[in-house]
Amino acid sequence: MIKKGAKSRQPRNLLFLFEALSLSLLFLYQWDSLEKSTYITAIGLVLIIYLSNFLLLKISDGDQYIFLIVTMLLSIGLIMIYRIDEGLGVKQLLWISIGILTFYLTYFVLRYIKGWRNWGILYLGLSYLLFLFTFVLGSRIKGAKNWIKIGGISFQPAEITKLLLIFIIASFYSNKEKYKDIKYSNYYLVGIVYSFIALLFLQKDLGMAVLFYVIFLALQYIYEEDRKLIFLNIGLFLAGGLLGYVVFDHVKVRFVTWLNPWPYIDNKGYQIIQSLFAIAEGGFFGTGLGLGHPYFIPHADTDFIFSAICEEMGLFTGIGIIMLFLILVYRGFKIALRQKNKFYKILALGISVLFGIQSIVIIGGVLKVIPLTGITLPFVSYGGSSMLSNFIALGVLQVASEDLGLEDEHYEIGE
Amino acid sequence: MFNILSLVFKYIFIIIIYLFIFSIIRLIYLDIGNMNYDDTDNSAYLKLINKMEDLPYKISEYYTIDEKLTFGRNQSNDIYIKDPFVSKRHFQIIEDEGDYYLEDLDSANGTYLNQEKIEDVVKLRNGDIIKISNIEFLFVNK
Repeated sequence: MIKKGAKSRQPRNLLFLFEALSLSLLFLYQWDSLEKSTYITAIGLVLIIYLSNFLLLKISDGDQYIFLIVTMLLSIGLIMIYRIDEGLGVKQLLWISIGILTFYLTYFVLRYIKGWRNWGILYLGLSYLLFLFTFVLGSRIKGAKNWIKIGGISFQPAEITKLLLIFIIASFYSNKEKYKDIKYSNYYLVGIVYSFIALLFLQKDLGMAVLFYVIFLALQYIYEEDRKLIFLNIGLFLAGGLLGYVVFDHVKVRFVTWLNPWPYIDNKGYQIIQSLFAIAEGGFFGTGLGLGHPYFIPHADTDFIFSAICEEMGLFTGIGIIMLFLILVYRGFKIALRQKNKFYKILALGISVLFGIQSIVIIGGVLKVIPLTGITLPFVSYGGSSMLSNFIALGVLQVASEDLGLEDEHYEIGE
Repeated sequence: MFNILSLVFKYIFIIIIYLFIFSIIRLIYLDIGNMNYDDTDNSAYLKLINKMEDLPYKISEYYTIDEKLTFGRNQSNDIYIKDPFVSKRHFQIIEDEGDYYLEDLDSANGTYLNQEKIEDVVKLRNGDIIKISNIEFLFVNK
C-alpha cells in the first residue's frame, strides 16, 4: 500500500488534507466578515505545521510520531476555536506559531546545554518565585486567582510550575546518591510538593492541584524505595480531600454537582448540564461544523472545548481525540522505557503522565465521569500559557526520545 | 449551500481523523515489528548480562558478530565503552569457518572467559561468559 521510505508521508498528507478542507469550510462560513490577514495566517499555519513535521525528521533522529499526533490535536482544536470566535482563532494561530518556535527552542537548548539534572535548587527557587508573583500580582479569572496580567497578556504561572515540578522530581531521583547522606531527604521532597499543592489550593486552582498530586504520586510510585512513604502520601491526599470538602466551599460545590447536577440546573450545575446537552445533541456524527450551538456551553473555547467538538464534529471525533491522546501517552511511556539517561527517563515519564492525567481530568470532567475541575485540554483548548508550556513539555519529550547516552557523567580517561 | 457542505464535510472529517490515527498506529506497529527481528536470528551475537541501567555509559543490549568484532575504549572499535578500566583496544572476536575465536589485545586489565583470564586465542562456545572490568557478555552461537 505504501512505499518504503515514504512511510511517514501518509499521515502528514492526511493532516494537510484535514487542515485544508476544514479551513476552507470555515472561510466559507465566515465569508462576509473575512479579513485578508486571517487568510494569510491560516495558510501560514498549514505551511508551518507541514514544514515542521517535515523538518523534524531531518533534525531529530528520535521519535517522529509525537509531533504529528500533537499537530492533529492542534488542528482540531483550532478549527473549533475559530468557528466559535474568529478573533480568538487568529490569536490561537499566533500562539500555535509561538508554541512551535518554543518547541524547537526547547529542543536545541536542552540538546546543547548540559547539566540540567544538577539544578534542582534553581527549579525550586523559580517555582516559589512564580507562586509569589501570582499572589502579589494575580487577578481573579473564573473564581481562581491564578493569572498574572502583564501589558494585556494574561499568563498562568502554574502552567510553568507544573513543568518545574517534573524537573524537580527528576533531578531529585536521578541524584539519589547525592542526597543519601541527608537524613529524610525524600521527606523534604514530599514537603516541597505538598507546599505547592497547598499554595494551589489557596489560589482555588483545583485542577492544577490534582494534576500536581498525580504527577508526584506516579513518579514516586515508580522511583521511591521507601514504600511506606507512598501509602502515607495516599493517606494524606484522602485526608486533604476530605478536609478540602469540609473547609472549602468550592470543593463541595464540585462534588454536589458531580453527583447530581439536575436540581441546580440554573446555577451551580449549569456548566456541566450544558456540556451534557451539547454532547447528546451532536450524536455520533455531530451537527456539522457551524450548525450547532456551542454558544450555550460556558467556556466552550477552553475548558469545555471537548463538548463543543463533540456537538459539532460528533462523538466519533471525540473518541478520535481520546485515541490521539492514548497513542501520545503510549509513545511517551515508550520513550521513557528506551531512554537510558535516568534524568531524561523520569522527565519523559512525568510528561507522559502529565498529558495523560490532564486530558483524563478535563474530558472526564465534562463527561461527568469525575468531578469537574477547570483545566485546559492540552493542545486543543485556547490559551497562550498552556500552549507554551505544553510545547516546552513536548520539546523535552522529543529530546528524551533520542539516544542521549549519559553525557552528564564525566569519566576520567586513563590507561 | 454552506449547510449541505458542512453536513458532507463532517463525515469526511471523521474519516480523515480515523485514517490518520490508523496510519500512525500502523507505523508504530511496523516500528515494533522491526525491533523484534533485530537481525540476531542467524549469526552469533553478544548479549549484555548486566542490567543496562546499572552501567553509567552508552551500551546496547545486543551486538551481532559478523566476521570480526572489536572492543575497546577507542571510538574506532565496534563496541566502545567509556570505562577507565577498558583499554583503547581491548579484545577482538574473529570468525573462521563458522567458529568464533576470542583474543585479548594486550589489555591492561585483561579479559576473562568463564572467570579465567585468557592468555592466548580461545575458541568460543555457545553460553560462554566474557568479562571485562565489571561488564559481562554472554556469547550466543546457535
